[in-house]
Amino acid sequence: MSSVQVKEGSCPCGSLLRAARCCEADKAQWPGQEAAALLDDKAAEATKLFNAKDYDEAEALALKILDAVPNQRAALRVLFEVRKAQKRFNAADALGARLAGLPAEPAQRAQANGQYAQHLIAQGRHADALPFAAAALKAAPRAAQAHHVMGVVLTETGEVAAGERHYRRAQALLPREDGMVLGNLAWNLKLQGRLSEAEALYEKALALRPENMRGVGGQAQVLFTKGEHDRADRILDDALARWPEDRILRLLKVMADLALQRPRAALERLGPPEKQMPPELLARGRAFMQLEQPQDAVNAIAAARNIQRERTGLFYQPEALQARVARDKAYFTADRVRPLPKAGPGGFMPVFLLGFRRSGSALLEQLLAQIPGFAVGDELAPVADLAKAVPGLLGGGDYPDVLDEMLVGEGAYVPDRLREVYEAPRRRLGLMREGVRFITDRAASNVWHLGLIKLLYPEAPIIHVLRHPYDLVLSNIAQDRKLEGNAHAGLPGVARYFALQADMIKHYRGQLTLRYLPVRYEDLVADPDAVVRRVLEFVGSDASLPAALALNNQTVPEPWPAHFTVREAVHGRAAWRFKAYQAALPNLFSEVAPVLDPWVREFGYEEQGA
Amino acid sequence: MSEAEQAGKVVMPLAKALEKLAKLEQENKLEQADLFAARMLAAMPEHPHILQLAGIVAYRNGRTAEAIERMEKSEALSPQTPVYPRNICEVYRGAGRLDDALRAGKRAIELAPQDSRSYFNLALIHYERLELDDAVRVAEQALTIDPEFAEAHFEKAEALLLAGRLREGWESYEWRFKLKQAEGMLPKTDKPQWDGRPMEPGKLLIIGDQGFGDCVQFGRFMPWAASQAPQPVLACSAELLPLLGQLPGPGKIVTRWDDAAGYEAFIPLSGLPRLAGVTLENIPPAGYLAPKPALVARWGETLERLVPRGKKRIALVWAGRPTHKNDKKRSLKLTQFKPLFDRDDVVVITVQKGDQIAQAGGYYGRAPLVNLGPEIEDFLDTMAILRHVDQLVSIDTSVAHLAGASNVPTSVVLPYAPDWRWLLNRDDTPWYPSLRLYRQTVPYQWDDVIRRLAADL
Repeated sequence: MSSVQVKEGSCPCGSLLRAARCCEADKAQWPGQEAAALLDDKAAEATKLFNAKDYDEAEALALKILDAVPNQRAALRVLFEVRKAQKRFNAADALGARLAGLPAEPAQRAQANGQYAQHLIAQGRHADALPFAAAALKAAPRAAQAHHVMGVVLTETGEVAAGERHYRRAQALLPREDGMVLGNLAWNLKLQGRLSEAEALYEKALALRPENMRGVGGQAQVLFTKGEHDRADRILDDALARWPEDRILRLLKVMADLALQRPRAALERLGPPEKQMPPELLARGRAFMQLEQPQDAVNAIAAARNIQRERTGLFYQPEALQARVARDKAYFTADRVRPLPKAGPGGFMPVFLLGFRRSGSALLEQLLAQIPGFAVGDELAPVADLAKAVPGLLGGGDYPDVLDEMLVGEGAYVPDRLREVYEAPRRRLGLMREGVRFITDRAASNVWHLGLIKLLYPEAPIIHVLRHPYDLVLSNIAQDRKLEGNAHAGLPGVARYFALQADMIKHYRGQLTLRYLPVRYEDLVADPDAVVRRVLEFVGSDASLPAALALNNQTVPEPWPAHFTVREAVHGRAAWRFKAYQAALPNLFSEVAPVLDPWVREFGYEEQGA
Repeated sequence: MSEAEQAGKVVMPLAKALEKLAKLEQENKLEQADLFAARMLAAMPEHPHILQLAGIVAYRNGRTAEAIERMEKSEALSPQTPVYPRNICEVYRGAGRLDDALRAGKRAIELAPQDSRSYFNLALIHYERLELDDAVRVAEQALTIDPEFAEAHFEKAEALLLAGRLREGWESYEWRFKLKQAEGMLPKTDKPQWDGRPMEPGKLLIIGDQGFGDCVQFGRFMPWAASQAPQPVLACSAELLPLLGQLPGPGKIVTRWDDAAGYEAFIPLSGLPRLAGVTLENIPPAGYLAPKPALVARWGETLERLVPRGKKRIALVWAGRPTHKNDKKRSLKLTQFKPLFDRDDVVVITVQKGDQIAQAGGYYGRAPLVNLGPEIEDFLDTMAILRHVDQLVSIDTSVAHLAGASNVPTSVVLPYAPDWRWLLNRDDTPWYPSLRLYRQTVPYQWDDVIRRLAADL
């Protein structure tokens, strides 16, 4: 498809319409539907040209029609499709949104909104797609495709239970089983930790639609998480033989290599670094970490972060986080929280596992999963979601100040209602099964919400997994994982983000009576039995440890959290790793030392000679 | 000479600038004073009086080392100026450099033998050094020059009381209401202060004056007062109401002066020991306060859930009210209790209140720590919690008095020169038999105190 030169006066969005007929148009001045219909024949011609792949002509005609009637639906659709194909995303965004917003019959509305939602999904903008997917669904509540799109949006924005419902509805509305819907549903179940169901569904989905490449990758991941490494390997090898150029499949295979401590195989598979993208370079860095080659590891990681910084302008943006911390510190003080009503005892006792990313809280959760009486909640339905619901329950106002409304009248019941909302998804997923007294909650966002947690579960144990801050930043910078505020942009960003979290925890611990136990990652890997025993004693569990707890391979009922993918016997390879890096690269931590060293001291690592 | 413009800068005559700097310091505009002092020092780095004032400003801004450096230089440049050693002796005292403080204090008197303030400063230094006879003697010298010098009377009282000379001490102690900081503690009235003679019922007003600890300590004299003047009216702050309300004797308790009308004489609680003729031998016994049973039960259940089992429960208070005149001497940082935290057999339950609870947020010691302070509403809660611990460890603050008055086993850590009520050379106190005292052996040195205490638990 040829590109078109931008003319003077064109709209900045890149549609090549005049701005006055595009983003700067006064919608009140748009012709009515009847007037717009006068150009229907011309628009039909543009559509015909487009369908005949005569894109230049179709585009030229659509531009002319829209210059006269900016809200001519068919012409707008043609231009939207053309710009989308040209990857002029700003223009496509503007045109698609305009198309979705035009008054129309339900079927047209559903189509326009559904297409626009898919356009956003294709760009990975799932949260942006939500209102359009919802509009499409409302316009066509019995359309399988609308439910399917909604399922994708909700699953990818973390609303997995709701996503599952829409996938199942989509399948129910279709005349026969659909490989794509079932494949997506299988991924959704994988995210919920329902691996056996996911595995069975992938079998079915891939039988119906064997060319579903992402489905094949998902199936391999399910099997890998279940510990069926050989089968997962074979599936990935077959897939790579079919689709040798697919980088996502290759990266999945590399991840499997790394999880199985095969760094050399991973490096070989990744190929020369010059052609690698950031996720591949980061995997390369982790491979060198496993090989204990600090210089090579740091080079690969730095190359990845440089690309991200240069190409996408990635940098740490702490302002919003800092503002939230200031707001919550101002509200959650001893004198303000003390009089607030608290929830009564619930159906189980949550055990909140706190810890900066890569601190070892996942390992602790894996070990606790093997203890009778425990179920693992991982990051399921976090308290952070409840914080969003609070203003609605209390008649409006800004969080957290609106919590003061709990002092008045019926507001006193809100903590109990919130606790019920917290418990519902855990009950639905079967975590509150017979014999379970404790359900772990490892949501990363809990660090910001200890104040609200205090109101819902005033005496819930909070186990904080500490790890040497230098190891934390080193480990995080090597991961292909987005951190809040883009803290993953570089070592200084991770360090400052860590300090912000540590400071928030310090505030909460100072101002609230919390049932808080710090444990160290370094102790956990050195003597897992002792640390887990301490945790059990602290939470009030009288369960005894299974034999060979440290092998970390006991049978655990589903659902399984995602981190079970890397479940392995406890090892101490990563503890104190930073020392080798400091020795090899003496200046590596010099920029972050002023931020981290006060916490090194406060956490007591200095005393341990670190 | 008036101010003049020179190359765009305002040039101020030196005398006027010095006056401005002194005024900023006196008006507690310390940040401005700091900036102005820095500018003056940049212009005239060797001027003794600028150095002196800049030193005072640095001291008041918490930069003691810098203050001493400036003031020493100032004194070296102008060794005959009496106010310089008089000032620096206070800074030395605040920094715990008591030998230097003594030398400077004596030098100030040498240079200005008629300056009562210099004698008073020296009396403070002698008190800190536990040279109590000297403290009394020097305070009396100040009073010879200025018989109405309330601070000197009070300092003399504190030295006498600390030495255990209670009867003499009580007399000088009466001057405390003429101290600047005592303003507003007593009602504005033309009624006389009570002399201890019998009165009609309901005609005596007893005032819960001074700090919470004093009120708890002297609350034991309420029955004696009521035996002389039945059904007295007790005026106290709202925080003390639930505690002092437990004491037998008062006809009614008020928290506003207006509600106390109708009395014919008044007496502060802290004035009762003098009237009762108290010596070390006849102090009324402790045990006059007790927690409410319902609260004891509630806190018992809470602690059962919050506190790990099988360990000694040690309650802890490590800091007092920062505005207390001796807070620097008596308060610690939480981290200074490390020898306690290193014990495997204890769980620490902090009953600290106020801003200092924030320190608990940075605790990562070996012993489990339950920061209970945020849940504590008032002294009744604290007293109920203390029923469920094996021991309280406290600095010299109101909670120690509360524990003593309710017979809770308590270890109190005390500065080298403690408040007079803790007396000297003993590890017990006649005021509270359940208290054990751990004294500094070196001023401002807590390490060995905490080590001894932790070892004794």
